[in-house]
Amino acid sequence: MSEQYKILHPVKYFRDHLAHKIRPDGREFGEYRPIVVNLGSISTADGSAIAKVGRTTVVCGIKAELCQPKAEAANEGFLIPNVELPPLCSSKFRPGPPTEQAQVATQLVADILKNSDCLDLKTLCIFPDKLAWCLYADLICLDLDGALIDACVVALMAALKSVTLPAVQYDPALDNKQVNVQERKALSVTNTPIATTFAMFDDKILIDPTVDEEDLSTSLVTIVVKEEELCFVHKPGGCVFTEEQLLKCVEESTKRATVIEEIIETAFKSL
Amino acid sequence: MALCEAEKTFVLHGVEENFRVDGREREDYRPIELETNIVSHAFGSARLRLANTDVLVAVKIEVDVPYPERPKEGKLEFFVDCSANATPDFEGRGGEDLAIEISNSLSAAYKSPEVFDLTKLCILKGHKCWKIFVDILLLECGGNLYDAVSIAVKAALWDTRIPLVKSVTVDGNNVDMEVSDELHDCQKLDVTAAPIMVTVCKIGEQCIVDPNVAEELCSVGAVVIAVSKDKFSTVLQIGSGSLHPQTLLECLQMGEKVAQRLSEALTETLSEINPNKNQDVGFLK
Amino acid sequence: MPVDHKRINGPEISIPYQLFDKLNTKSLKTQFSEIVQPNGTRADGRTSTEHRKIFLKTGVVSQAKGSAYIELDQTKVIVSVFDPREIPNKTDYSSKGEIYCEFKFAPFSCHKRRLHQQDAEEQQFSAIMKQALESAVFRHEFPNFQVDIYAMVLHNDGAALSAAITAAGVALAHAGIPMYDLITSVTLAVQGNHLLVDPTLEEERLCQVPLFKEEENNHGIVVLSVLATHEQISQFYQSGYLSYACLSSGIEMLTNAAKDIVTLVKKCLVKHVIKSVRIVED
Repeated sequence: MSEQYKILHPVKYFRDHLAHKIRPDGREFGEYRPIVVNLGSISTADGSAIAKVGRTTVVCGIKAELCQPKAEAANEGFLIPNVELPPLCSSKFRPGPPTEQAQVATQLVADILKNSDCLDLKTLCIFPDKLAWCLYADLICLDLDGALIDACVVALMAALKSVTLPAVQYDPALDNKQVNVQERKALSVTNTPIATTFAMFDDKILIDPTVDEEDLSTSLVTIVVKEEELCFVHKPGGCVFTEEQLLKCVEESTKRATVIEEIIETAFKSL
Repeated sequence: MALCEAEKTFVLHGVEENFRVDGREREDYRPIELETNIVSHAFGSARLRLANTDVLVAVKIEVDVPYPERPKEGKLEFFVDCSANATPDFEGRGGEDLAIEISNSLSAAYKSPEVFDLTKLCILKGHKCWKIFVDILLLECGGNLYDAVSIAVKAALWDTRIPLVKSVTVDGNNVDMEVSDELHDCQKLDVTAAPIMVTVCKIGEQCIVDPNVAEELCSVGAVVIAVSKDKFSTVLQIGSGSLHPQTLLECLQMGEKVAQRLSEALTETLSEINPNKNQDVGFLK
Repeated sequence: MPVDHKRINGPEISIPYQLFDKLNTKSLKTQFSEIVQPNGTRADGRTSTEHRKIFLKTGVVSQAKGSAYIELDQTKVIVSVFDPREIPNKTDYSSKGEIYCEFKFAPFSCHKRRLHQQDAEEQQFSAIMKQALESAVFRHEFPNFQVDIYAMVLHNDGAALSAAITAAGVALAHAGIPMYDLITSVTLAVQGNHLLVDPTLEEERLCQVPLFKEEENNHGIVVLSVLATHEQISQFYQSGYLSYACLSSGIEMLTNAAKDIVTLVKKCLVKHVIKSVRIVED
């Protein structure tokens, strides 16, 4: 019966649950879904990770290529993130160019990377103005069940930590490059930003919403925390969060960030 | 075109009696007309008419840089254009899928170095090579496209003349080359092993080649077999049906036999065309 | 090339670093003899007719009607199937339902980085997949509708197309779409007298060009999909340069190899049924 009820009266169904202080999937308001991180399972990539936040699954593969640095930033390399929401992950998407949601997610992930300063692009430079690394970080969502950004950031950070780059000898006079694939070095990732999404529905704040909850909610906010400091907030319109509510969210996400950071560390150690 | 059940039975019985609707036997082709060297701006060209199917193939050549992972090889690319005039089905984007399928099958058939040696197209290792574009235009569609296209492509490649390179000079990273000015100083491509495709169509219990439109409607599945010399270079199944392994083997055998005959006939015809003789050629003949 | 404004683009030219690695000076022939012994034993200890270890799981994508994930050792493919929907941009009635397949390599799945748009190879693989699955599905049950099937290769270590077809068959069954039979697919790589079932990427690469002289210049890749109970070949694709004798023995080997996987596919589906029955009982 509950299936039919959910389809016919989604809002009422949701509200009934919330009135009993429980969410449709059995969680409490402040309870987030389990997080699973798996590192380095794709050997064709130079670094890779799979992150699961509840049922939302994002796989990130990072491939390194050689290129010439930009003229205006001669001693920097590139880190190019792209979030892909293929039609595979949800019935909302059709084949074709990236949807609006994918474009927004790509831009958000790029902004988070830039704001957190977690990877110094200067370390990707091999020879100023001549040769640098370009890291293509492709994030592919395999199952979209809400909190996409959270999963993307976890997958990206875990993948970045697992990247190893081969040693390159560069002779600027002859423009000769020699790569030693065996001799590999890890990147120096200085900090780990972690994103947490909250959904607001009838003045109630739900942490880590599923896709159904996201669709019904009146407002969403994504808070990114690094080293117990606020680093980035994204609130795309919707109804108003009071100052008190927002501060509570920041506090919650700081707590969750510590847990996730530990999970990534553990995954990294077992690599 | 649509057939009623009785018409389908008629076609089927004909195939079983080895006497098809148009009087052919199962392994017979319809008459084929072939012209070469008809597009003056192309390096090589051919036009083929097989009953109502009409195909024009033109070959274009450019100087290009080899792929970094295969520095010793030139490039060969196929592009199929399904003109909306060919059949009403091609209107809009209708022909796109078929065009991609045909060009992909051609690339697959020409992929092996035993079939077409790309290293001969290399001018200077890692720096310069010839890139051959084979443009295929379907002017009219009367069934059996794969066969017609493959023969026309082979003839066009046979007709292709690559300019002779007189000298190549290397100066640091700059490579300069000089091409012979003489119009007749050119080299021909070796197409002896270029594949011929035969579509073997299953109707009832029997297999036939070169189906006409009515016969194509009666069959559920067909196998396109590309044969180069005595070997198979590509085999792919088309249509939505499935086959018993034994039937597949029979199709392969038949395809090989027919392709050999077809290939012999083509080589003979091409050798009759003498470039020194001033033959009259024209689109309307 | 036009600039893709919907994605973040990297520098205009970037080159894979593998090209500047110290060159592997060994000839392809020695490379091949290193990974395949004369008696057919391969680098990972398999015989020439042996499959790699296969892992198969249904229900990996919660948002899809049916989904499956397959691993052939390193090769990883995920497939999802969605509810039938009306065929887009179609004016006339079609008495049979359509199958739409999209096969995609993830950008990081191969040695060379793949682009986001489908390339010619992926389009061809999509067409082969469609051809393979069409004869397995009761298409007359959903006239004027189409079923979307999406396959994504996360890691390509050979036989990715076969893996995608097998997984798509399982995903269709998981979605509850009526089918005539289970579909399984196997790849074969041929080099000279060696016929290798379920090749790795390295084996596939070395089978692209002839390495042996004269009579033994057979080489190529064969992909075959089988409806096992009905003994029907639903799809067959070969490329390379093969003699009839070689191809016919290859077909026999592949049909048998494809039947070997059927038990595994059945087991996987039975597991799913047991699980869903338990949920209903609870």
